[in-house]
Amino acid sequence: MTHELSSPDLWLPLYGDILYRYGVARVRNSDSAEDLVQETLLAALKAKDNYAGQASEQTWLIGILKHKIIDYFRQLSRESSQGFDEQTSIKKESDEYFNLKGNWQVELSTWSKPEQSIEQDQFLMILQECIDRLPSRMSQLFILRELDGMSSEEICDVLSISTLNNLWVMLSRVRVQLRNCLDINWINQ
Amino acid sequence: MLTCKEVSYLASKKLDRKLSFRELIGFKMHTAMCRLCRHYARDIKVLHKLMLKVGEKGQTLLPESAKLSEQSRDRIKLALDKALQDDNKNNKFIAD
Repeated sequence: MTHELSSPDLWLPLYGDILYRYGVARVRNSDSAEDLVQETLLAALKAKDNYAGQASEQTWLIGILKHKIIDYFRQLSRESSQGFDEQTSIKKESDEYFNLKGNWQVELSTWSKPEQSIEQDQFLMILQECIDRLPSRMSQLFILRELDGMSSEEICDVLSISTLNNLWVMLSRVRVQLRNCLDINWINQ
Repeated sequence: MLTCKEVSYLASKKLDRKLSFRELIGFKMHTAMCRLCRHYARDIKVLHKLMLKVGEKGQTLLPESAKLSEQSRDRIKLALDKALQDDNKNNKFIAD
């Protein structure tokens, strides 16, 4: 099946909010997300003659937005003076989740039970809130990896992380934090 | 014997890569005895699968109520209209 593009002046009313939600869930900043929507639509306008009709209009636009988001992340990593690679040892230091011996300092969680499905809107909302509470670079990392399924190698490139090991240490930290946040905020009925 | 902290790292890495034989043995030995780590490994796997599923559906985690503000909608519309006009002018120019 081939698709056809609708008139460009319909893009904003048809897809503006969808693109915005997609963007803001990733860049976590409404101003930047709005700019990205604009850039995406302008880029789409320029590229419309190359549209091959293989993907639906919405998929095509989201594809353009994805590239814009990656550019945005790349630029952020370049601009940030702080390296992404600090504090990447899993050994010694204690934190709020592990004591000095490396044992858990948190209780057994209750939100994930094998027999129960957690695809409820309410759970997703809490998950989003927990992601929002992460340091912004950590949440970018997590979203690119988990929501967009980007490969670890690509993420290292986009976010300027020097080694895969560092990436894994950071991902591990994010998961510990998220799991704990979910546990505190999700009240199981 | 690995610590819980080390095992939490392996549980997370396991979602990304196949663990080495030595890593896997360490992981299995620890989780066989440690309920906290067993639950942890299960929890992050559930979370991992959930995120993938949400991503594949093209959903975001945001509710439908998250929308472009009126202001930015107007601003984007202006920018688009201008670009469209320029585009048309160019086409006309080429046609002439």
